[in-house]
Amino acid sequence: MSILEFFRWLQYTTFATEFRQSALVYPIVLIAHLTGMGLFGGMIAITDMRLLGWAMRSSSITDVVEQLRVWKWIGFVMVVGCGVMLLSAKAELYYHNPFYWAKMTLLALVGVHALVFHRSVYGNTAALDSAPTVPRVAKVAACISLVLWIGLVTAGRSIAYYDVPNALVPDYSVR
Amino acid sequence: MQIPYDPATNPLNNNEWSFPLLEIIHIVGFAVAIGTIFMVDLRLIGVGMRRRLPSQLSKDLAPWTLGGLAAVLISGPLIWTSDPNMYLHNGGFQFKMAALLLALVYQYTIHRKIAFADPSPIVGALTGVVSVGLWVSVIAGGIFIAFV
Repeated sequence: MSILEFFRWLQYTTFATEFRQSALVYPIVLIAHLTGMGLFGGMIAITDMRLLGWAMRSSSITDVVEQLRVWKWIGFVMVVGCGVMLLSAKAELYYHNPFYWAKMTLLALVGVHALVFHRSVYGNTAALDSAPTVPRVAKVAACISLVLWIGLVTAGRSIAYYDVPNALVPDYSVR
Repeated sequence: MQIPYDPATNPLNNNEWSFPLLEIIHIVGFAVAIGTIFMVDLRLIGVGMRRRLPSQLSKDLAPWTLGGLAAVLISGPLIWTSDPNMYLHNGGFQFKMAALLLALVYQYTIHRKIAFADPSPIVGALTGVVSVGLWVSVIAGGIFIAFV
């Protein structure tokens, strides 16, 4: 099954069809998507700013990273969970939108970033705190994280500005 | 009420990039503001950031909340000028503005005062829950602009 076939199947499942046609559930999921984004994005920004030495300097890096970890995960699960639901409603339309794929690529890069910098930064905060100045690798990780995060928002917003060619727009009134 | 104003004369509506750029600033500012407000709320409720007192956490995050709100409150009105009469007559927008006013007043009066005073768990939890409710209402109003 190709990705396009999978997306077509997904958008015509009973769940996705009902969800697409719901005047109330659809916006509520959007609200949860955005609330999760505020939680996740805001906390990532503050963690990055702490690594750069600009925010929450009276707390150790360890305290900031450890205390935010579970809430970042909750925010992340909210964003991605709602995101998958929103995708399912109009999957074929998103398939044809290059900004959707840009957003997914950036999201994958956020995952790569977390894996790459886990050992040296996010899982190594005690060493960062005991170093005389925050090591360069942590600042590089923070800057890359901020760029990825703003890129993700930019790509996400741009999805709405791309017009999928008419011939490729599925007819959601049928089935 | 109709504002005698032709959006076509607004430079925002005469190029492709300024409106999306403002929206991006609006969302990034929103995330920083809401994210930092929620951090204090989670502390007040007693479920997060417990290694700091609410007063310390509020003080540490205040500049970031203010910075985020500033970005939102500058980009927001500019977005509004793209089609002011449409927004004024939109129920979602009206709700958002009322909730925003309440949330802002609450944030800088009751919420601030209580967080700075390191309240008892019950008072703290109540203050935090009301704050989360108010800010989620602002988001809800914003989303419904496109649905009403």
